[in-house]
Amino acid sequence: MSNLPVIEVENLVVEYGRGSTATRAVDGISFKVMPGECVGFIGANGAGKSTTIKTLLGFIFPRQGQVRVFGSPAGTVESRQRIGYLPEVALYYPFMKARELLELYGGLQGLGRAELKRRIPPLLEEVGLAGRGETLLKNFSKGMQQRLGIAQAIIAEPEALIFDELSSGLDPVGKFDLRQVLLKLKQAGRTIFFSSHELTEVESLCDRVIMIHKGRIVTEATVQELMKPLNEFQVVFQLPDGSPVPDSISRHKPERDGSNWRASIRDTAEYAAAVADLSQCGARIVSTSSNSRSLEDYFISLVRGTGGNA
Amino acid sequence: MRGAWLIARSVLVEAVRRREVYAVVLVSLVLIGAVMTVDFFNIEGLSKFYREVALKIMSVATAFTVIVLAARQLPREFESRTIYPLLAKPVSRTSFLAGKLLGVMLAAAFCFLLFMGIFLVGSAYLHLKTQWALFGQYVYLQMLQMLVLATLAFWLSMVMNLDAAITLSCVFYVTSSVILSASTYIYDLVPQYAKALLLGAIYLLPQLDLFDLSEKAVHAEVWPPLPASVMGALTLYGIAFASVYFLISLRLFARKPL
Repeated sequence: MSNLPVIEVENLVVEYGRGSTATRAVDGISFKVMPGECVGFIGANGAGKSTTIKTLLGFIFPRQGQVRVFGSPAGTVESRQRIGYLPEVALYYPFMKARELLELYGGLQGLGRAELKRRIPPLLEEVGLAGRGETLLKNFSKGMQQRLGIAQAIIAEPEALIFDELSSGLDPVGKFDLRQVLLKLKQAGRTIFFSSHELTEVESLCDRVIMIHKGRIVTEATVQELMKPLNEFQVVFQLPDGSPVPDSISRHKPERDGSNWRASIRDTAEYAAAVADLSQCGARIVSTSSNSRSLEDYFISLVRGTGGNA
Repeated sequence: MRGAWLIARSVLVEAVRRREVYAVVLVSLVLIGAVMTVDFFNIEGLSKFYREVALKIMSVATAFTVIVLAARQLPREFESRTIYPLLAKPVSRTSFLAGKLLGVMLAAAFCFLLFMGIFLVGSAYLHLKTQWALFGQYVYLQMLQMLVLATLAFWLSMVMNLDAAITLSCVFYVTSSVILSASTYIYDLVPQYAKALLLGAIYLLPQLDLFDLSEKAVHAEVWPPLPASVMGALTLYGIAFASVYFLISLRLFARKPL
């Protein structure tokens, strides 16, 4: 596998409109996605996620900066040769049958007629549309269209997948099925870059997360790095008269609450050490609790300006 | 090239599966049928009347169909967002637009084929002889005219909304001959700068009348087919306008954020 980045974004600035009325949707972001990585791109509505993704595909043009996909400038035919894309809202020609649509998209990616004939039935089955190949798309529900969208994105077995709002329009079963498809693709070594509002999905699928807020990247870390400070342990204790607070506790700035002390500790090892020290100095442990926050809590606190540690 | 062909095929599939084309053909069929029932001509008069009206109806109906089909190609793609997964595939915007144009032309040919079938059945019913060479030239020039109209509608749909693009293209199609004759009438009466404007308009706007051989096809017994040199010149004339309109459309589309 090559070590060249699949996606390379450097100081990207995208603006809508011109002159004094221009709105900056993306404000100088830089990031890379390496081969085989699964990267979640998360942010609130209007944060700049879809704009960034559209720039990757050459749908909109940057005001500044460089965007390269597989080493080619974004928007060139070469850059789109090895990617599969699922748009946020996937609607397809209502006058076509599902099979015809997949033939069109597969054909555009260079697949021959025989190859398409071989690939389409199992692909429809994989996305939960078995036996629907001859149905006109005007008779497809939104969820079915989204499933077909996934099929068109992966029909040519692209090396990289770019999904805008991953599970938009899917019911819980659809989301589960999609996750299975993505896990399979991830295991097969495909590069996956997707934006999503479903942070549990990001948590369960991604190796790395990029958070964007008001056009700027606010966090870029592996899921493990992000989740580490999100676990919080609380210990409530009483000290024997005149005993000082042990060092392992005092660094966590415990608060006094009547005769009780309350400390919050984020790291599991430090928590274990603190409990051991308290026992050793004869303190009475009143209660312990753990409070695991989700990526969603972290994200909400981040976009509300209270910082990731709130 | 394959990308353009696949996109063209999807446009043709749309034209064949939607009901508008058949509605237009049906209305035309009713009108042509009504013409055949007129009984105040002698046989020769009726045949000429039939040819004249049928060819005119077919020409107008095909032109309107092509204008609507061409003008809505891009706005519909944007409106329904079908353009995103399509242009995410390795197909250039040039191939995409070329495919759309080819598709519209194939749909125009399909539409014309339906009309020709009706016309020829009507001719056979009235025992009319068809001058095949002239009739072939008529069909060819009609298709050339459709190419000019389709590229014009493409261009207009890029710079204005769908309704305006259709309206303006139709107005241009209907008034094209009027513009030319009105300019001829008033040319001697206007000041020098207006003469220059009129000349400019005549040269800059395609003269669609040049592509209309229906008069000759009606009186086919006295008109020989056009010489090859005239057909060649008309071909160049039509292709020149279509190329200019297409290149303007392409330039606008290439820079258009999606």
